[in-house]
Amino acid sequence: MEAIWLYQFRLIVIGDSTVGKSCLIRRFTEGRFAQVSDPTVGVDFFSRLVEIEPGKRIKLQIWDTAGQERFRSITRAYYRNSVGGLLLFDITNRRSFQNVHEWLEEAKAHVQPYQIVFVLVGHKCDLDTQRQVTRHEAEKLASSFGMRYIETSARDAINVEKAFTELTRDIYELVRKGEINIQEGWEGVKSGFVPNVVHSSEEVIKSDRRCLC
Amino acid sequence: MSEKDSSENPRGSSQPPDEPGDAPSSENSTKEQKRAVSEPVAITRKRPEAKSSSEAAEQEEQKTPEKHDLDSEAKSPSGWGYWGNWGKSLISTASATVATVGHGITSAIEKAESSLGVPSPVELSIRSQEETEEGADSVQSADAKENESSSPITGALGFLSSISTAVQSTGKTVLTGGLDALEFIGKKTMDVIAEGDPGFKKTKGIINRNSTLSQVLREAKEQEELRVSSDFNAETEQKAHYGLLFDEYQGLAHLEALELLSKESDAKTKAILSSLSGEELAEVKAELEPLKEAFSLEEFDDEEELEKGDEEFTQEVTTLFDELHISARPLKLTKARIDAYKWMADVEEDGKKKKEEQAEPEDAEVQGKTSVEDIHEFAIRSLAELTACSMEMFHKAATLILHGESPVPAAARGRALSQMTILLCKELTQLSKRITTLLTITGASEKSDVLNPLITGVFLEASNSASYIQDAFQLLLPVLEISHIQSRT
Repeated sequence: MEAIWLYQFRLIVIGDSTVGKSCLIRRFTEGRFAQVSDPTVGVDFFSRLVEIEPGKRIKLQIWDTAGQERFRSITRAYYRNSVGGLLLFDITNRRSFQNVHEWLEEAKAHVQPYQIVFVLVGHKCDLDTQRQVTRHEAEKLASSFGMRYIETSARDAINVEKAFTELTRDIYELVRKGEINIQEGWEGVKSGFVPNVVHSSEEVIKSDRRCLC
Repeated sequence: MSEKDSSENPRGSSQPPDEPGDAPSSENSTKEQKRAVSEPVAITRKRPEAKSSSEAAEQEEQKTPEKHDLDSEAKSPSGWGYWGNWGKSLISTASATVATVGHGITSAIEKAESSLGVPSPVELSIRSQEETEEGADSVQSADAKENESSSPITGALGFLSSISTAVQSTGKTVLTGGLDALEFIGKKTMDVIAEGDPGFKKTKGIINRNSTLSQVLREAKEQEELRVSSDFNAETEQKAHYGLLFDEYQGLAHLEALELLSKESDAKTKAILSSLSGEELAEVKAELEPLKEAFSLEEFDDEEELEKGDEEFTQEVTTLFDELHISARPLKLTKARIDAYKWMADVEEDGKKKKEEQAEPEDAEVQGKTSVEDIHEFAIRSLAELTACSMEMFHKAATLILHGESPVPAAARGRALSQMTILLCKELTQLSKRITTLLTITGASEKSDVLNPLITGVFLEASNSASYIQDAFQLLLPVLEISHIQSRT
């Protein structure tokens, strides 16, 4: 039954307009690549289950934000309720890489008082011949922010699963260690449901599935 | 017959539920559940009602000590707690149906419920305990009522069975009459509402209260998830959960996003208005008045309408969307609608073919024909999808009104959105009529207690859907207000 998962994480995907945020998410959630797509209006929503260990599933709620400047004020409202994020730039567009810093600053300013785990994603890695940002400099930037760096392609389905799953695992570890907690009035992490046993949020962490049958 | 047999007189729920008498009650509910499981029932979900936070907390307190008892019920939708909800949902839906006729009376419903005296599951459980202690008298009278049922009824179960019988027979009446009966209850509810709240016509949806619609829906969905997961291994696995499907189609997320925009706009409008004074303030207020009128949905007539063709519906939605002058297209919505009708047409076609091929219709039933359960599941899914798409459309409209390029008079946009709301609600009515007709035809050889709950379920979710759409529409008013104020300067 689809409805069963251990936690629900809310992730936000940000980055300049046209770096391929919606395409990346659609590849991940729908398994296909849309050649042409309209620019995102405000924010869109997707979800998918991810199995991080056998039997341990996490539901990801993915918030796809508009990169366009005119929707920026809307996007800002969504940082607060996210536990993780993918910060995208286009490896063939130097400008989008330079703006990474700005995106991060904005996220930090609006996520308070909660924390948010980011992964830096260099997108469109299938277009290696048009590359304007080297892997080395992107890795360097990511490590200076204390993030992972990963290169993806929605068109060729490269590393798309990996990007989302690794971020999910990182967040799960932090939740397991108690560094990120479920909080009232915060949508970032929600506890899910395990068959036959109704857990309180704390119990979910300690106990595995118990079968009453 | 003792007064307690009547399900119309709930007792005060002030009695603490965790008294020693609790244990037998849980036993009873398990027995009752076993008995009830054999009755085929569909899940008819109650439209979630917003509670004021204090009320909610109070209820929470009452429920907590009973949790273990309730858990056993939660596994089966047929537990008597479910029946309690059923009665409640019937009434709230009756009034929701009325709401589709044009008055945003959702917030008055609670009042109606309490004055109609539908007992909550918690109250029922308390009463069942009392009933156990009361002894044989009431049991006998309950037994007398229960003569339809062949199963032996132990003393403690008498009362419970009588409730479910009462509810079932009410259910039958409602279903025989279909919409007429729902309308009748709706009218009754309206009277009660009118008595209790003379100004009810001005009462707008849930949104004006402490908790927002999306919160209420989210809580309802979470409860449904809980129920689904505890149902996991149960034989009576139900596939169609409106709340879960509505969320799957991202309806909740879009609604929540729309609420966020609405709230922000409202705050901005208030801040601006409070900074104005004298003539200017009066002027702005006068300008906002026609906007409010567009949101009263007064032209929402109840005329019988013919079913629209795919193109006609798509055309109408597109035209209205064009009037909004925003750069988005309602493709998802029109596609969802087309898919729904195509599926139904296919099933109808299949049904006809099968009938021609097979002389005996009973054989056709056995041979992989689309079952009534399939149609029911499809109906709930379609309603959830269409409603979710409507949420998305309203959310996108709000986003583009606030951050779009071409300024159009807010009142014109308000009128277009209001027309859109009416169109969508009518569409839901048409769709549910079509599906229930299909259910009736397909399930002609089914017993009425299999078919009727399914039909009721479809009608309930259709009118719930219409109420969600109207509540979402109301969220657009602050958005248009601020857009109007900002376009003045």
